[in-house]
Amino acid sequence: MDKTKERSIDKTTQDMLQRAKELNIPTAWDRLESMLPQCGFGKLGICCRNCEMGPCKINPFSEKEQTGICGASVDTIVARNFIRMIAGGAAAHSDHGRDIIHAFMLAAKGKTDAYGIKDETKLKVLAREYNVKIDGREINEIAEELSEKFFLEFGRQHGEMKVPQRAPEKRLKLWRELGIVPRGVDREIVETMHRTVMGVDNDYKNILMHGFRTALADGWGGSMIATDLSDVLFKSPEPITAKSNLGVLSPDEVNIVVHGHEPTLSDVVVDAVRSPEMIELAKKKGAKGINLVGMCCTSSEILMRHGIPVAGNFLQQELAILTGAVDLMMVDVQCIMPALSGVASAFHTKLVTTSPKNKAPGVTHVEFKAEKAYDIAKGIVKMAIENFPNRNGNGIHIPDKSEDLVAGFTAENIYNFLGGAYRATYRPLNDAIIQGRIRGLAGVVGCNNPKIKHNYGHIEMAKELIKNDVLVVVTGCSAIADSEAGLLQPEAAVKYAGKGLREICEAVGIPPILHVGSCVDNSRILIALTNVIREGGLGEDLSDLPVAGAAPEWMSEKAVSIASYFIASGVLTVLGSPFQILGSRKVTDFLCSEAEDIVGGKFVFEGDPVKAARIMIDHIDKKRKALKLKPLMYR
Amino acid sequence: MCYLIVGNCAAGINAVEGIRKLDKNGKITVISDENYPVYCRSLITDYVAGTRKKEDILYREKDFYEKNKVDLILGETVKGVDVSKKEVILQKGNPLPYNKLLIAAGASSKPLSIKGEEKHGVFGFRTLHDAEEIIKTGEKTGKAVVFGGGLIGLKAAYGLKKRGLDVLVMVKSSRLLSRTVNAEAAAILDKWFKKNGISIRTGIGPQEILGNGNVEGVLLDNGEKISVKLVIVGKGITPNISLVKDSPIKTHLGIITDEFLQTNVEGVFAAGDVAETTDMVTGTGEVNALWTAACEQGRIAGMNMVRKDKKYPGSIGANSADFFGLPFMSVGYAGEIEEGYEELTGSNDPEEYSYKRIVLKGNRLVGFTTINKIENAGVYTALIRNKADISSIRDILPEDYFDYPKVKDLLERKEGFRESISPQGEIIRIA
Amino acid sequence: MKRVFVNLDKCLGCNGCMIACAVEQSSAGDLFKAISEMPLPVSRIEVKTVDEGGSFPLQCRHCEEPYCIDACIAGAIRKDPETGLVLSDEEKCVGCWMCVMTCPFGVIRVSLLPDKKGKIAVKCDLCQDRKIPACVEACHTGALLFCEVEQFISLVSKSKGDRDVLLNSR
Repeated sequence: MDKTKERSIDKTTQDMLQRAKELNIPTAWDRLESMLPQCGFGKLGICCRNCEMGPCKINPFSEKEQTGICGASVDTIVARNFIRMIAGGAAAHSDHGRDIIHAFMLAAKGKTDAYGIKDETKLKVLAREYNVKIDGREINEIAEELSEKFFLEFGRQHGEMKVPQRAPEKRLKLWRELGIVPRGVDREIVETMHRTVMGVDNDYKNILMHGFRTALADGWGGSMIATDLSDVLFKSPEPITAKSNLGVLSPDEVNIVVHGHEPTLSDVVVDAVRSPEMIELAKKKGAKGINLVGMCCTSSEILMRHGIPVAGNFLQQELAILTGAVDLMMVDVQCIMPALSGVASAFHTKLVTTSPKNKAPGVTHVEFKAEKAYDIAKGIVKMAIENFPNRNGNGIHIPDKSEDLVAGFTAENIYNFLGGAYRATYRPLNDAIIQGRIRGLAGVVGCNNPKIKHNYGHIEMAKELIKNDVLVVVTGCSAIADSEAGLLQPEAAVKYAGKGLREICEAVGIPPILHVGSCVDNSRILIALTNVIREGGLGEDLSDLPVAGAAPEWMSEKAVSIASYFIASGVLTVLGSPFQILGSRKVTDFLCSEAEDIVGGKFVFEGDPVKAARIMIDHIDKKRKALKLKPLMYR
Repeated sequence: MCYLIVGNCAAGINAVEGIRKLDKNGKITVISDENYPVYCRSLITDYVAGTRKKEDILYREKDFYEKNKVDLILGETVKGVDVSKKEVILQKGNPLPYNKLLIAAGASSKPLSIKGEEKHGVFGFRTLHDAEEIIKTGEKTGKAVVFGGGLIGLKAAYGLKKRGLDVLVMVKSSRLLSRTVNAEAAAILDKWFKKNGISIRTGIGPQEILGNGNVEGVLLDNGEKISVKLVIVGKGITPNISLVKDSPIKTHLGIITDEFLQTNVEGVFAAGDVAETTDMVTGTGEVNALWTAACEQGRIAGMNMVRKDKKYPGSIGANSADFFGLPFMSVGYAGEIEEGYEELTGSNDPEEYSYKRIVLKGNRLVGFTTINKIENAGVYTALIRNKADISSIRDILPEDYFDYPKVKDLLERKEGFRESISPQGEIIRIA
Repeated sequence: MKRVFVNLDKCLGCNGCMIACAVEQSSAGDLFKAISEMPLPVSRIEVKTVDEGGSFPLQCRHCEEPYCIDACIAGAIRKDPETGLVLSDEEKCVGCWMCVMTCPFGVIRVSLLPDKKGKIAVKCDLCQDRKIPACVEACHTGALLFCEVEQFISLVSKSKGDRDVLLNSR
C-alpha cells in the first residue's frame, strides 16, 4: 500500500492503484518507473532531431562550448524545441476550436440533427464584435456569416487577428510594438515549424518571441474561439452542482465515460442518455438506468453545462476502467492514453474512438459527424447498454467516495456572484481587491503528471492560496483535483480560506475556488482579467494586476502553450516541473527573467506547491504595492 | 625467510608489497639513509611551491611498516655487500644478514663539479632534505638560479617561482629539455615558462660558486658574475652504485639486471633508480630513473624475491608534469628525428601552447610528446609497450579523437603481461 | 570482481550513461542543478566511437595490476585490497597526469578543482555507494551490464547464439 500512497494524495486513486497492483495491470506510474532514469538530453531540451545530419546532442557537462553539426548553438536548439512544443499545444487547442466552428456552421445552415444556437445573447455580442449585421436578420443567417469570420481567424495571412483585440489597449499596443500580435492561428503555427527547420532562425530571442506570438494565437485565438462558440452552441454555463471522483460510477446502471476534450459529441450523448428510448433499453438489459460520467476536459464541458458527474482527471482514466464497471468509454481527442485499449482488454469495457484524428489499433471506431451527431450518439449509447450484461459481477470494484462540487463559472457570470447581480459589472470584485479583502487572483490550471504525486500539487497550492485570501480560478485537471478534495464547495471557504476571502464567499455563497471550465477555457481567465482592467482601479495592463498563474502538475504541450500565452499576456506563471529548456542558460534566463521586462510575465519553476504558492503570493503583493493598494484587511 | 631491502622509496616500498602478496610471514627489513618514512619524492616540487605540506606528501600511511611487519632502519648507510656471507655492511651498525637482497638505493643529484660547490646554498633537487634547505635559504633571499634545463631543473624552477622567488634557469645546451623533447616542443615550453615569469638563458654554464661558506654569487663560463644566494643543481642523477663496487655485482650505467630484475648474483635483486634495465624502445640497457618504473620494478623484484617467476617487460622513458596549468608528457623516443624514424603531428597550435607529436619506427609507435592534449595519452603508451603494429591506424594516430576503441584489436595478448578485462569481457594483456 | 561490461550490439550511443555518471559525480546529485555547478562534474564514462559510427561506452576497467597505481607519484590511486576497486583519493592528487599517461584505456579524465585554480585526475569508482553503478542503471537498452566477467560472457553468447561475440564482432 505504501507505494500507492506515494503516487496519489487521493484516497480513491490509492485504492484503485492497489487494485491495479493486485490485478497486475500496469498504469502510467509503473510505466514511468520503467522509463527511469529519463533521458537527460531530452529533459534539458538539448537534443535536436530536426535534420538527418543529426541527431545532435549537446553535452551539458562539457567545459567547451559545443554546437550542433549545422553550428546551431545550444540556445538555438533549446529555443527551437521549445517553440515546437508551443506549436503542438497551440495546434491542439486551436484545432479543437476549428471543429467547434465547423459544428457551429452546420448548425447555422441547419445541416445537423443535433445542434442549434442556444445562447443568442452571446451570439449577438460576437456578431457585433465581428461587424456582422444583426438587425433584421435571422439568427441562423447571422451565425453563418459569423462562422466564416471565425474560420478566417485561422486562415488569415496578414494583418491582425480580431480576437486578440479584446486585450486591454495597453497590452495590445505592447504586442504591436513587439510585433507579436498573431496574424492567423494556422499561419503562426506553420511559421513556427518553418523557423525551426534546419538552417532558418538561429537567434534564440527571435525564435522565442515567435513562440509567444504562436501561443497568443492559441490563448487569444483558437482557445478563445472554442470557448465562445461552445457557449453559443451548447449554452453558456451557469453555476451548477454535481459530484466528482470514481465513486460516481454506478454498480447497477449502464456506465458510460466520455473522455477527451471536445464538447461536440459528448454534449449530444447527454441528450441521448436521457431519451426514454435508451433508458427503456437499458432496463430491458437489466440495468437500473444509464449513468453518464465525464473524464478530463470533456467532463468539464458537460459538467459546466449539464451537471454531469466527473469520474476523474488525467491520471484516473485507466483507473476508471479498472473498476470493471465501465460499460463503454467514448474518447475524442487529446490526453487519451494509448494504454487504455490494453487496460480495457482486461475487462468487458468497450473503448470507442470517435475522432478521425484519433484511432487506436483494435479499438472500435465510430466516426463522429456533426451532421448526424444525435444518431451517432444514440448508437454509441446503445453499444454501451448492450455491453452491460457482459459485466463480470465479481470483478467490479467501485470506490465509494465522491465529493460534491459547484462548477459553471464564467467571465460573464462571475460578477453575479460577487454582489453585482443587477448590472454587468466587475466593480465588487475590483473593490474587494482594492480594499484588501481579497489579496488577488490566481489561475491554477493544467494536467496531472505521474512525476508529481497525483493531485498533490493542485490541492496544496490551491489551499495555500485561498488561505492567503487569493481567489483561485481553476480549469481542466486542476479543477477536477480540487473537486475531489472537496475544495469546490462553498463550505471549503469556511474550512480553508483566509478571513477576507471567506467573508466574500459566505456573503455570496460561492466556493473559494471557481471552476471555469476545460483547458481551452483558460481563455475565460484572460477575459475575466481584461474585464477587471476595464472596470478600473487596478492598473491599465494585465501585467499591473495582482494576479499569478500556475500549472503545478503540467505534462502536455498544451500546457506549454498556455503558460506561454499567460506570460506573453503579462502574468507570472509557476510550473511544477521545469520546461525542457534548462540546457540553455540563455533561454532559461530569457523566459524566467528577461521576459518580465519585455512582456510583463515570466516563468518560475518550483516543484513544491506550497513554496510555489508563496512565490505567487509574493508576486501578488509586489503588484499590490506597485498599485499602491491598501494593506490586506485582516493581516 | 629473511628479506633485506636497501632503500625506502618507491622501489623499496613496492617491493615490500610485492613480497607480502606472496609471503605473509617472512622477515622484511628496510634500511634507508634518509630520516623520513616513505614520502613522494616527486612531490618535493609541490612542497617547495607551498601547495603541499610536508605531512601531505607521505606515500603510505604511517602504519604501513607495522601493518606489513617491516623492521625499518632509518639514518643508516649501507657501505657494501658481502655476497658470499650474504650480509650487508653498515656504516654504524653490525652487518645485517639476508636470504634475499634487494638493492633499491636510488640515485643522487649529479654534481656541477666546479669550484666552490660545497658552499652552503647549493642544493640538489631530490630529497625532502634538499627541499627543506631550499625553503629555508629561499626565505632569506628572493632569488634563485637553477642550473640545468632538464625536467628536474624545470620542476625546481616551477616550485621556486610558485613560492614567489625570482628564478633564472641556466642551460648549458642551446635549449630546454634537450634530452627529453624535440626543439619544437621545447620552444613551446620555453615560451610558456617565460610567460609565467621564469627567466631562461641558454648556452651558458657555471664556472665557479663564489662566497665565503655561504654562496654569494656565481661566476659563469662567459666571465659574467651574478649575485645570488641560492643555487639549485638540476643536472640529472647518478645511480647510487658505490655500495656494490667491491662486490661481484656487475654494474654499467647502473646495477645490471636480468629479466627477473635479478643481478648477476643469485638472490640479489636491484630495482628503481639504481637499476639498469632493458629499455623497451631502444632494446639497450638504460637507467630509466622514474617513479613509475621504480614502483613497477620494486613490486616485480619483491615478488621474484619470494618466487622467481615474474618477468619484467623492460622500462620506458616516460615523463608527465604540469607547469603552471600546462600539462606536458613525453614518452619513449622523443628527441629529434633520425634515420629510420618518422613523425606525425596533429592539429598543433603552438600559439595556444597545444602540441602533439607521434614518433614511428616502421610500423611501430616508439614515442610521443603532448602539450595540453593529454587525454587518451595512455593509449599511445600501451601501443609502445605492446610493440603493436599500427599500420592500420597510422593516419588517425595524432588526431584528437584517437582513443582506445580504435586500437582495441591491435593490442596483442601476450602471455605473462599484465592483465586487464576489456569492456567486452576480453582479456587484454599489455607489457 | 564485478565490472561494467558492454554488449556493443545493444548500445545506441544515447549518452545516457554519461549524463547519469556526471549527475552522480555532481555535488547536487540532480541533473538540473548539476549542469550549472562550478566546476562542471566530469563523467567517468565516455561514449566513444568505433568503426561505422558504432558507439562504445568506456570507463575504468579496475585492472588487476593497474598502470595508474604505479604511475601515481602522490600515492593517491590505490587498489582496495578487499574489493579490488582501483580508487583515487582526489584530495591527494597533484595533477601530474602520470596516470593519464599510462592508462591503456584512456579512461582517466581531467576535472577542474572547485576553486578553478587547478586540475586533478578523476576516474570511475564503480559507484561504491550504490548497488548498481549509475551508468548501468541509466542504460535503457541493457547494453551496459554490471556483473562478473564469466556471467557477462555467458549472457552475451546466449543472446547471440553461436556467433563469436567476444572478439570484437563489430
